[in-house]
Amino acid sequence: MEFHQPTSLDAALVLIAADPEAMLLAGGATLVAMMNAELVAPSALVSLRAVPELRTIDVAADGGLRIGAMLSHAALAAEARLDGGNAVVRGAVAQIAHPSVRNIGTLGGAVAHGDPSSDLPAALVAANAVIETAGPAGKREIAAEEFFEDYLTTALQEGEMVSAVLLPAQPEGATGHYEKFARVHGDYATMSVALVLAMTGAECSFVRIALGAAGATPVRVAEAEACLLGSALDADAVAAAGAKLVAASDPVDDVRGSGEYRLMLVPRLLARALTAAQAKSETRS
Amino acid sequence: MSNKLDITLQVNGEAQTLRVPPSRTLLDALRGELALAGTKNACNQGVCGACTVLIDGLPMNACLLLAVNVTGRDIISVEGLGEGGELSVMQQAFVDAGAIQCGYCMSGMIVTATALLADNPAPTREEIRAALSGNLCRCSGYVRVVDAVQLAAERLGQ
Repeated sequence: MEFHQPTSLDAALVLIAADPEAMLLAGGATLVAMMNAELVAPSALVSLRAVPELRTIDVAADGGLRIGAMLSHAALAAEARLDGGNAVVRGAVAQIAHPSVRNIGTLGGAVAHGDPSSDLPAALVAANAVIETAGPAGKREIAAEEFFEDYLTTALQEGEMVSAVLLPAQPEGATGHYEKFARVHGDYATMSVALVLAMTGAECSFVRIALGAAGATPVRVAEAEACLLGSALDADAVAAAGAKLVAASDPVDDVRGSGEYRLMLVPRLLARALTAAQAKSETRS
Repeated sequence: MSNKLDITLQVNGEAQTLRVPPSRTLLDALRGELALAGTKNACNQGVCGACTVLIDGLPMNACLLLAVNVTGRDIISVEGLGEGGELSVMQQAFVDAGAIQCGYCMSGMIVTATALLADNPAPTREEIRAALSGNLCRCSGYVRVVDAVQLAAERLGQ
């Protein structure tokens, strides 16, 4: 196996274009574990650790953020600019695995892996993030909702990489929350609810919800959000929204829980997540 | 079959030159080429924490890092925690609190706990448990592990 450590994004793209069996090494939290388990055997690794342009956070004029792909989960869990509605992303990365893994794993690596049980995909869909990719034909911007196409399958094309995640400026006063239910601290979610919420007085004026571990990709249902918009988040509205999310979910049966059990969690976790987001919103106002 | 690379790693304050294939993990390089067997290999998947080392002061799983990808970084293994042949305050606290049973997970626990106190000198028991959540002990003696970290925090705070 060859090992390359380019110092620019362009040089990295040239290296992966030259060898279809080469793989990009971001943090390695997933890739090196897969190599150890002999699940993958790349012909070459192109390490991204010495590419400075993948490590920046830029704030747009409208308050949106552009976050470089090589930032670690631990760095983002401590990132104060992930506030307001975008705190949903901070809440998700803070709950990925354990401290030692969060120091290794990266935003871009987790996004490119596209594991629906992992924490970032649902949080990014809830935040209406855009995935910036870099490839031989230049950069592309793909909505997170379209980027995650299937189990471990994303919109990335041959020779492309995730270069950054763009988070929009969220509505005024919005709060974000990531509610994760797992068997033990640091496990993959049995079910998770990511949401961005804004209240105007006692009325819900904005809400965007995505479920993790509920299917092959994050589950978002516009009709569920419509049940909550304009409501006071009363029990009937929350139950109606939960039912629409359950109807769109198709979770797997595995060691973390049966599909049936996971579906039972959805409305309960939704209620918890809404209560938590609302509490944050009251603290802010 | 695999090509090897000559690399220099900064381990426990000393530059070490070694020749490894690119797929060699830092864990295997420490235990093999560098004969530092205090760092333990258990799951090799980043799940158990037995191989935790400090990289630029942060705890990381050595089984998830490739040796060729950590050149130029400050690597501290459990052998590098004490000074002058003495145990570190954290190591001594683990002994004094009776936290050690079979001992296999201990180097990872001690390295992780060392990083915790560097960041948070007076953690609550809940914070200690969260920080050590990625370090599994199959003897399941977690209560005295938390006691040991608190004891180290008290001793360092005095």
